[in-house]
Amino acid sequence: MSLEHDLKHALRRESPPTGFASRVLRRIEREGLPSHAGRGVRQGRRRWLRAAAASLTLTALLGGWAAHGIHERRQAEGERAREQVLLALRIAGEKVRYAQHEVRDISR
Amino acid sequence: MTAIVPQAIEFPTAFTRARAGDHDAFAELIEQHEAMVYSLAWNFFGDRARAEEIAQDVFLQLYRHLDDLDSEAHVLFWLRQVTTRRCIDQTRRSRFKVVSLDDAGDVPSKDHAADPLLDRRLKALVEQLPEVQRAVVTLRYQEDLDPSEICRIVGMPVNTVKSHLHRALQSLRRKLENLR
Repeated sequence: MSLEHDLKHALRRESPPTGFASRVLRRIEREGLPSHAGRGVRQGRRRWLRAAAASLTLTALLGGWAAHGIHERRQAEGERAREQVLLALRIAGEKVRYAQHEVRDISR
Repeated sequence: MTAIVPQAIEFPTAFTRARAGDHDAFAELIEQHEAMVYSLAWNFFGDRARAEEIAQDVFLQLYRHLDDLDSEAHVLFWLRQVTTRRCIDQTRRSRFKVVSLDDAGDVPSKDHAADPLLDRRLKALVEQLPEVQRAVVTLRYQEDLDPSEICRIVGMPVNTVKSHLHRALQSLRRKLENLR
């Protein structure tokens, strides 16, 4: 017989002593490992909490981004209004100077 | 004319029921794989008490990791990998060998060996191999796996596995010759 054939025979599978599964289940109980049904519920709850936290973060980010947009728009509008006021003042100033000049010419 | 074709009814497997929290299904899952897990450790150490302890630890670990596995095939692969690595790690950590072949005849085997003495000699010689060679030989001849499957379990390139196997067989042949 070949060595490989002999090895297959010598190393064939053997069952553990009777009651192995019961001994494993007893150890599971003794070591207080949580049942899978309970773990499923806890994992579902954890998954839900993670989703809620993610959506809150997203909402906060979007809110911040929108607030920033509004602030920038208001700032631009303010800037435009300031420029218009300055232009109006410049025009008014020129008109006053022109009127003073006219008054001086008449009084001479 | 219409033909009535019976539809295949799919029953949930022990694995899917065990994942859902069914303890009886987990016991069924243990019974499906206990011989494989126990024999990997038994062929590795030649010590039934140690094999039982390792096998129990592996199934406890399986219980903790059931949610990470997605099919029966995945369970089989995972069990082979975890058992083999646990055996290698234990050997590396303890660096001592327990060979108790005296109890080899305690559990009757279903398939009686043609030469029980040769079986015992071969098992003893396998237990003397370096740990990786021992793991590779056990997976090859107990589990009938190819080097391409073994390399995934032990996490080594296929050529390294082939060379371990080759060296192990050479060593076993040489030692057997010396015994004759």
